[in-house]
Amino acid sequence: MKYFLATLHTEGLKIIKSKVIWIIAAAFSIAPLMAGFFMFVLKDPALAESAGLVGAQAQVAGEANWQSYLDLHAQMIGVGGIFVFGFVTSWIFGREYVDNTVKDLLTLPYSRAVIVTSKFLASFMTNIVLSAYIVALGFFIGWIVGLPQWSSAIVMQNLYVILIVTMLTIVLSTPVAFFASYSRGYLAPVGFVIITLIFSQILTAVGHGEYFPWAVPALYSGLTGETIISWSSLIIIGITSLLGFLSTLYWWLFADQH
Amino acid sequence: MRTVIKSNRISKNYKGFQAVKDVSLNICEGEIYGFIGLNGSGKTTTIRMLLGMIKPTEGTCYIKGKKITSTNHRIWRSVGHIVETPPCYPELTVLENLTIFRRIRLISDPDIVPKVMEQLHLTRYAQKKAGTLSLGNAQRLGIAKALLHSPEILILDEPMNGLDPSGIVEIRKLLQDLAFNRGVTILMSSHLLSEVAKIATKIGIIHNGRLIQEIESIKLSDLLNQQLVIDTRNNQSAISQLTTAGYISKINNKGLIETTDRRAIQDPDKISRLLVYKGFPPTKLTVKEENLESHFLNIIERGGETLQ
Repeated sequence: MKYFLATLHTEGLKIIKSKVIWIIAAAFSIAPLMAGFFMFVLKDPALAESAGLVGAQAQVAGEANWQSYLDLHAQMIGVGGIFVFGFVTSWIFGREYVDNTVKDLLTLPYSRAVIVTSKFLASFMTNIVLSAYIVALGFFIGWIVGLPQWSSAIVMQNLYVILIVTMLTIVLSTPVAFFASYSRGYLAPVGFVIITLIFSQILTAVGHGEYFPWAVPALYSGLTGETIISWSSLIIIGITSLLGFLSTLYWWLFADQH
Repeated sequence: MRTVIKSNRISKNYKGFQAVKDVSLNICEGEIYGFIGLNGSGKTTTIRMLLGMIKPTEGTCYIKGKKITSTNHRIWRSVGHIVETPPCYPELTVLENLTIFRRIRLISDPDIVPKVMEQLHLTRYAQKKAGTLSLGNAQRLGIAKALLHSPEILILDEPMNGLDPSGIVEIRKLLQDLAFNRGVTILMSSHLLSEVAKIATKIGIIHNGRLIQEIESIKLSDLLNQQLVIDTRNNQSAISQLTTAGYISKINNKGLIETTDRRAIQDPDKISRLLVYKGFPPTKLTVKEENLESHFLNIIERGGETLQ
């Protein structure tokens, strides 16, 4: 346990001390800002009309109220989270190869499984914090915009959906860690994330999204108007996540590390 | 003395290419083993196998008698290393890099970090981002990390890389102190053959993946070729006088007389007297000794045939 806590602590230090995480947080902040802007436009139909294209896009978000606004957040985390959480995971694993520090980690006097597990947990916690930050910023922007129909029931229901979407999105980033380790960098995992996003869109459009793990969080977020998740989707997500974890573990434990 | 680093006929193959072939090393406690070879000769691959980063295709490696496997991780308690470029987190400071390494190495004493920084003259760079360090200082940081847990064994791939002349002397002294006063066993590879000759107690030459020669440094001078170089006013006539006297000599590409005859090298005065007597007094008479560099190049030029 002391090994695990030591590696987890150092992973935390490495994340906090790096500029990258702050840049990711700043970039992810665009999501609630955009949602807030849509609501602002929707609140004033005259402005929406004069805004032209922006106004037309804002109509997709529905009405200017807390329910629509929080739905939009869940959808943004369901889609944007695949990219952002995937990038965070690829950075946490890939940086060791890019900076060559993996050589130090391979010769520690305890199992490499401890390092891999603490990296996954650090990645999980970082992504949870990022998600919480986005939601908190979203609430603040919603309050600034002055959205109507606030109710604790709506907030609780939507926070629950956001939490589930966040969890589903985060657990799907384990295969990204494998690609970051296998390719010893960031390019391949980021490419993998982009491909999963493209396939999510295509498979959702043709009605098979529930069988493609990376499409499921967006589906659950209500992107297609429903917030249901089937057991088969959950099982597919579980298997994908487990495969990602085990393949990464196997790679660190048994593959040649050049 | 106890063998602490051992490889038993290790080989490494990559898709039809044999990077290392049957390398057997036996490095004893307190020894400084210099590992030399050309680029791509198999030094780093051997070092990586000794550190458990890659698995040998054949053969086995041992540290302190324990077999190196990816699960036998306790052996790394006593090993410090640098492999190729010294690793660091570039966006963290020198102090933060060392602190992180201290934590993951589970070293409870926080004073060890300033102590090692002082030892490697890194104190004034403590708050500098590691990514902005010069190559020499990055190398010092790498060595500092390798020393942080006071290892009994140091495996260093090109530890002098990027260091200025005073830095090289400093690291040489540090490594000698660790080996001779604290019993640390050191395996170091280097391109700086003169440094290896100065520091190593045993030298291994690797070429095309094979360990072609191992030399005890105390026997190094016996192994290195010597030549007596002579210059006179008439070298053509002088060489015929030497040949007549039984000394096999030749004129080298600089027009000087050169002989590897042991009797001549051991008693140059006798050659001098002979040439004076025959009317060709030497204007130059020097015993030239091959150094490790020329010895190494000679072996490589000969195609690296196995010499033990």
